[in-house]
Amino acid sequence: MAEKKATTKKAPSKKEDSKKVAPVKQETKKAAAPAAKPKAAPADAPAQAATVMPTMNPGDARVGVFICHCGTNIAGSMDIEAVQEASKKVPHVAYVDNYKYMCSMPGQTVINKAVKEHKLTAVVVAACTPRLHEPTFRTATKDAGLNPFRFEMANIRDQNSWVHMHDREGSTDKAIDAIKIAVAKAALLQDLHPKSVPVEKAAMVVGAGVAGMQAALDLNAAGIKTYLIESDMSIGGRMSQLDKTFPTLDCSQCILTPKMVDVGRAENIDLMTWSEVHEVEGYIGNFDVTIRKKARGVMTPKEAEAKGIVGGGCNGCGDCENVCPVVKPNEFEVGMKPRKAIYINHPQVVPLIYTIDFNSCVKCGLCVTACGPEKRAIDLEMKDEFIKVKVGTVILATGYDIFPIENKKEWGYKKYENVISSLEFERLICASGPTGGHLVRPSDGETPKRVAFVLCAGSRDNTGIGKPYCSRFCCMYSLKHAHQIIEKIPGCIPYLFYMDIRSFGKMYEEFYYRIQDEGAKFIRGRVANILEDPKTKNLHVYTDDTLLNRPIDMEVDLVVLAAAIEPKADTNRTRKLFGVSCSMDGWLLEAHPKLNPCGTTTAGVFLAGVCQGPKDIPDTVASAEGAASAASIPIHMGAVELEPYFAMCIEDKCAGCGMCVNLCPYSALSLVEKDGRTVMQVTEAKCKGCGTCGGFCPGGAIWMNHFATPQIVAQIDAFLLGGEQ
Amino acid sequence: MARTKGYPEALEKKLRDQRYVREDSNPDFLKNVKSISRTIAHMCYQCGTCTGSCPSAPRSSYRIRNFMRRAVLGLENEALTDPDLWLCTTCYSCTDRCPRDIAPTDVIMSMRNLAFKRDIVPVNFLKTVQAIYSSGHGVPNNDVNRAAREKLGLTRDPPTTHMYPEYIKGIQTILNHYKLKANADRIVKEREG
Ligand SMILES: Cc1cc2nc3c(=O)[nH]c(=O)nc-3n(C[C@H](O)[C@H](O)[C@H](O)COP(=O)(O)OP(=O)(O)OC[C@H]3O[C@@H](n4cnc5c(N)ncnc54)[C@H](O)[C@@H]3O)c2cc1C
Ligand code: SF4
Ligand code: SF4
Ligand code: SF4
Ligand code: SF4
Repeated sequence: MAEKKATTKKAPSKKEDSKKVAPVKQETKKAAAPAAKPKAAPADAPAQAATVMPTMNPGDARVGVFICHCGTNIAGSMDIEAVQEASKKVPHVAYVDNYKYMCSMPGQTVINKAVKEHKLTAVVVAACTPRLHEPTFRTATKDAGLNPFRFEMANIRDQNSWVHMHDREGSTDKAIDAIKIAVAKAALLQDLHPKSVPVEKAAMVVGAGVAGMQAALDLNAAGIKTYLIESDMSIGGRMSQLDKTFPTLDCSQCILTPKMVDVGRAENIDLMTWSEVHEVEGYIGNFDVTIRKKARGVMTPKEAEAKGIVGGGCNGCGDCENVCPVVKPNEFEVGMKPRKAIYINHPQVVPLIYTIDFNSCVKCGLCVTACGPEKRAIDLEMKDEFIKVKVGTVILATGYDIFPIENKKEWGYKKYENVISSLEFERLICASGPTGGHLVRPSDGETPKRVAFVLCAGSRDNTGIGKPYCSRFCCMYSLKHAHQIIEKIPGCIPYLFYMDIRSFGKMYEEFYYRIQDEGAKFIRGRVANILEDPKTKNLHVYTDDTLLNRPIDMEVDLVVLAAAIEPKADTNRTRKLFGVSCSMDGWLLEAHPKLNPCGTTTAGVFLAGVCQGPKDIPDTVASAEGAASAASIPIHMGAVELEPYFAMCIEDKCAGCGMCVNLCPYSALSLVEKDGRTVMQVTEAKCKGCGTCGGFCPGGAIWMNHFATPQIVAQIDAFLLGGEQ
Repeated sequence: MARTKGYPEALEKKLRDQRYVREDSNPDFLKNVKSISRTIAHMCYQCGTCTGSCPSAPRSSYRIRNFMRRAVLGLENEALTDPDLWLCTTCYSCTDRCPRDIAPTDVIMSMRNLAFKRDIVPVNFLKTVQAIYSSGHGVPNNDVNRAAREKLGLTRDPPTTHMYPEYIKGIQTILNHYKLKANADRIVKEREG
């Protein structure tokens, strides 16, 4: 231990240590620190620290330990009294107290009073997690007159009392260890000063479904320049594929199209369709985003004008489409209608610009001729373009896909013609759809008289094939579908095969009541199997009427699968670019499921709509407005504080080898010439404090603020050697 | 004893539904079912996929979902004394499709094990035991089958204990080890005299 102690102390600067000046100097500085207000402006602080930081000595550190009961969350599984008594014996501890809820106002007052009365130099709170309450206790530490970074948390709840609920002795011992470790670090904590960086007055929204559109419109209204990036040719997302919307049954296009037009017109929205995020660099306030504008083969009037073609560019006339010889299935119509290689999704697209699918275009040039010499909108040699923009905050709104329900073989999707998905149903019942709104059987074009709806198709499924979660809107849209066929096809009976009808929203249960009253039949049983009668192409639906306790074999004309949903295909790539995590099921992970559902753990990146988890339109729009509001806060503040956990170079020791420069995952390091020597330099705003460089540097020349080697070694010593330094 | 005039037994049976948790429930039953079947029987959410898949259900009063419910609630007597317990064909369709990834077939097998421990087992199952003991086959070969096999170009007897009777001894050793044969003989004798 003596050896270790020597290294920790000596390593940073032999020269100072040999003179025995440093420790003394350090102590005086430490002692003075709590009372002293930061002398220099925050921006200067690191530079100033760089000259003094290399020595560390707990000296006469006076640490206060505050143990939280968290009601019975902690106190119920350990002996708080014993933890308190043991904490008193830990070196450098000057004061110990406990309280029922340390985070409450009275709890924080306990800290405040103790710091002042006992002249504490650092605060340790043994409670929940830093993720939950570090900011709370930092503020409390600051209010008591200390630098907010003179605070350390010991997690004795999530990783202790909750997991060792039935081991009182063990959890008590573990809590004592955790406190010893926290105190060891607290005794060595330094004053740190967050750096403030300006925030670019612009935002980006990725995905232009109803969520992305709403978020962009809100940001636009708040006067914030917004880049709206959509990978498809048009905005609107899934909602533009729907016919009517529950529970009010207003037509989806009628309520969505005006919004789409608004987005197209909005002064502060820079809409980029047929585009995707290619690369992201930077951090909150200063994201440098490279956008890939995929070659769409057709120029907008603006783009044409930029090329000197006055009065040119696509005006949406569709002449090209008429002559194009290539026929492909239209994805927007779920493949039930043809399109050409040059096409638009549907007549209401925003922006109204044709797009060439270069995977199927044969470059015959017929469209170029049809488009004519005035417009000259088509460029068959168009290449992808890369555009760089800088934004302060980002909202991800990438939405969802339908789960490939053919994977659940027992329902025969893609095997039996008359088994369709709910999205196909939406297109078939929609007046602008492939059949002009006539619901027909795909096998023979006949109007169905008995339609089975299979709810929870692929949702609430733990077999590993389907999805374990509830997709949340399929109960409601199946009720809507039932209503639509009752309304459109006299005599047609909808049968809903369900496990539970989840009609949880405002006016939803009332909607359920109404549809049942209209004549829909409800059968409580999950569909076990579907078989086709090869002659009639009718379908036999097998289930258990669980309420009658009777197995059922029902013959119907058409089956609609209320298929589960899953995150949009490209979501994983996009989220990684922004450093956002996902939960086990693939949906993007919010910062806190209850208290911060729109935020992420990456500062400055927010979530809107279904990409965070299944949501109907009302919830989607609400979440989008929440995300827009959250994303506009840093922009309106104009500046954000970065946690001062960046790396620093101890220039005396740096050999200028530059190996760290390549290791840094955030490109925060570079080599510079200083006083005739090559040394490493940190761009503090880019550094995320991950410690990769600090752990690597062979010369020990990198100092990680707040996670400095001496601090960490002291923590390890405290654990292994029981708190003695 | 009977609480009503008229058809007391039927009514008794109905009234049982109101009493089950109070009187019949045995929490160890679920534990035993789980440890024998090695499936998460307590996770059934009563969706009906199993009964809907079951080839036995439309042809009988057997309802696999009912047995799952009885397992969850620990209704041991009700489950083990229900003759329907023996109507599962072990086709495993329910196990294939159960969305909770439970193996209802194995739950039934575990209940049959538990029932056998209480000598509750239909005579035809015991006769199968006796047939296996004497021939190595639950359904021994017969002349109709032999003719059919010949037509298909197969040997008259399959390459099992039928062709190699010397191995029947091995099978008998196994059945004796578990006292299956002795128990079967005993119960058949008790029932048929
Ligand atoms: C059959 C069916 C019927 C429904 N009926 C109703 C109803 O009646 N009422 C109701 O309230 N809800 C209904 N819903 C739910 C509704 O569709 C959703 O709530 C809503 O569409 C969610 O919008 P969103 O913007 O979050 O996602 P989406 O609509 O999926 O939009 C996401 C957008 O982001 C784009 N995108 C994805 N990834 C990227 C990327 N990496 N880069 C750039 N762009 C990207 C996509 O192209 C898309 O335009 C229904 C759903 C289905 C399946
Ligand atoms: S060049 Fe391509 S898009 Fe144009 S008409 Fe020919 S195939 Fe169609
Ligand atoms: S919303 Fe209804 S149909 Fe959809 S998964 Fe949930 S319970 Fe099943
Ligand atoms: S299929 Fe599985 S979950 Fe559904 S009722 Fe049967 S055992 Fe229970
Ligand atoms: S294994 Fe038994 S219970 Fe399951 S479906 Fe087959 S016959 Fe029915």
